[in-house]
Amino acid sequence: MTKQFALRDLVDDRPADGVFRVNRALFRDRELFDLEMKHVFEGGWVFIGLATQAENPNDFFTSFIGRVPIIVSRNGQGELRCLVNVCPHKGVRLVQKLCGNASRHVCPYHGWMFDSAGVNRNIKWKKGGCYSPAFDEDSHDLAEVARFGEYQGLLFASLNPDVPSLEEHLGEAAKLLDLVADKAPNGLELVPGRVTFTYAANWKMQLENCSDQYHFTSTHPSYIRILEERAKEQSVEVVQSSIGAADFWTEGAAGVTGGTMSFDHGHVLNWGIMPVSNAIADFERAEELAEKFGEAKRNWMFNMRNLTIFPNMQIAENASSQLRVIRPIGPDLTEMQTWCIAPRGESAEARRFRIRQYEDFFNPTGMATPDDTVCYEEAQMGMAEQERPGLQGHDRGMTATVEGGNEYAAMIDLKPARRVLAVAQLCDESLFASYYRAWAQRMKEVLA
Amino acid sequence: MTVLSHAEVEAFIYREGLILDRKDFDAWLAMYTPECLFWMPAWRDDGTQTEDPDAELSLIFYRGRRNLEDRVQRIRSGFSVASAVMPRVSHMIGGVLSEVVDDDTVKADSSFIVSMHDVRTNRTHSYFGRYEHVLSRTDDGWKISQKIIRLMNDVVPTMLDVYGV
Repeated sequence: MTKQFALRDLVDDRPADGVFRVNRALFRDRELFDLEMKHVFEGGWVFIGLATQAENPNDFFTSFIGRVPIIVSRNGQGELRCLVNVCPHKGVRLVQKLCGNASRHVCPYHGWMFDSAGVNRNIKWKKGGCYSPAFDEDSHDLAEVARFGEYQGLLFASLNPDVPSLEEHLGEAAKLLDLVADKAPNGLELVPGRVTFTYAANWKMQLENCSDQYHFTSTHPSYIRILEERAKEQSVEVVQSSIGAADFWTEGAAGVTGGTMSFDHGHVLNWGIMPVSNAIADFERAEELAEKFGEAKRNWMFNMRNLTIFPNMQIAENASSQLRVIRPIGPDLTEMQTWCIAPRGESAEARRFRIRQYEDFFNPTGMATPDDTVCYEEAQMGMAEQERPGLQGHDRGMTATVEGGNEYAAMIDLKPARRVLAVAQLCDESLFASYYRAWAQRMKEVLA
Repeated sequence: MTVLSHAEVEAFIYREGLILDRKDFDAWLAMYTPECLFWMPAWRDDGTQTEDPDAELSLIFYRGRRNLEDRVQRIRSGFSVASAVMPRVSHMIGGVLSEVVDDDTVKADSSFIVSMHDVRTNRTHSYFGRYEHVLSRTDDGWKISQKIIRLMNDVVPTMLDVYGV
C-alpha cells in the first residue's frame, strides 16, 4: 500500500520545542477516516459493553466493533463470548435485536442455525445440497472475535489478534476503572433507558471534549446560571447539582483544583476536587466506602473524574455518572450511545437523584450536551480550512506537564505516564497528546 | 360549569403547538399548572419505553413548571450556542381522542409530527410520536397538568429542546 499520509504532517509532536500540532485533516479526510476505522477501531482493543448486559445463560446483546456487527452471548453454561454477528453463508447480520435471551439464533435469510456459543447447529437441507468436501472442511460456526476480555465487569474486544493483553492495554488506567467499580459493591449496571444521538462532526471532537476542562465555563454559561439559581433557591421541585457544590471549575478557585493524568495506550483522566457531600448520589455509602477502601480512595471516588479509555469509551463522573460509547459513522458524523451507569442495589432515593441529575446535564434533550455538540459541528466546518492546518488547541499546560505521578496519584497508588496539577484557569490541554500518540501507534503501519 | 367539549380539547392541544411554533414561551408556560408533569420517556434496549421515571432514564422528566421555566430561561439567555440561531418548527397534531375523566379533568391522546429546520446548518428533520395530555380545571381556567411525549424516532440529531416536540 502506498503510504500517502506522513505522520509528521498529521501530528507534529516535538516536546523539546514545546510544539504539539494536530492537522485538521484528522477531522475531515475520508481516506484517513477509513484507515482509522480499520486500524484504530478494528485494529485494537475497544470497549463493547458491560457483563451485566448479558447476565444469565443464553442472554445476548449486539453492538459493533468499528464497522463490524458483533454479538456478545452467554452460552447455556454461562460462559460469555464475543462473536461476529454475521452468518457465514451470505454475510447477513444474524441477530437484529439490541438484546434478548435465546439458546438458538436462526439466520433470517436461509435459515442457518447457531447456538448461543456460536456453534452451527443446522444448515438447511444440507444433505440434499450437493456440497463439495471442501465445504465440509470449513467451519460454519460464527467467528469469534480475536481477543475478548473482561475487567471489573467491563467488556473489551479486539478484532486484531496481534495486540497486547487487556491488562497491558488498560495498564495503570485500570485503577481508575476500579474507582468506578469498587464504588459499587454489588456490581455496576446500566440504568434502563439508552439514549442515542448523533452529531455532524468527527469522533475526536467527543474524544477531546470529555477531557476538556477549558470549555466548561464558556460553552455552558446558560447551564451554570441555572445551577447557581437552583443552589440559592433550594427548591424541592428542581434537582440540586453536584457541580454546583464544587468550585474546581470556577475562575477564582483557590489552590489545587484538580488536574489531568495521561497513560500509555491513549487513556486520559481529567479530574477536579469535589467535596464528599450529599450533592452526590453515592453519599449514602460514603462512610462504608471509607471504611472499606480508606479515606483517600473514597475521596477519589467522589472527585469529578472524566475518564477516557481509548478509543471509544468514556466514563464521566461529574454532574452524575455517565457511560459513553463513541461510534464513528463517517469523518463528519458520529453516533453517541449513552447510559446512566450506577451501582446495583443503591437506595431508590439515590437512584432517583442520580437519574434526575443525569437527564438535565447529559441528555441531548437536556441543558448542557446540546451546547457541546453544536460546538463540535461548528468546529467541523472550520476543519475545512487548509491553509493553516495546525490547530492551536493542544497547547495549554505544555510547561506544566511532567512525567510520573504526584501526591494525589499516590493516594490511590496510581502511576500515570504524565500529569498536570491544576490551579484555577490552567485547564490542561497537553493531555490530548496521549490520544494522538495512541492514534499514531495504531496507525503506524499506514503512516509514512 | 361544563367540561371541555371534544372540539375544545382539540383546539387546546392545537393551540399549544401554535404557541411553540411561534416560540411564545410565556404563553406556553401559562398553559401549565405549577405542579405539572412534563415527561418524555426514553427507550429500553428491548424496544419498550421506560415506565418508572424514578428508576429508569427519561429523555426529559420534570415535575413542576418551575423546571420548564429554567428551560425557557436557558433558551432566552443568550448564553446557549444551541439556542443562538433558533431552529424553525411547525407542529402538525392530529388524531385527537379525548376522554372526560371527571368534571375537572379531561385526558387526550394525539399524534404529532414536528418538522424542524435548523437554520444554522440548513438541515431539516422531523420528530414524531404521540402526546398524552391531561387537562385540569383550575381557578385560572383549563391548564395542562400532565403531558407525556412518546418520541418514536429517539436517535436525536445533535439536539432537541422543548419546542421541538
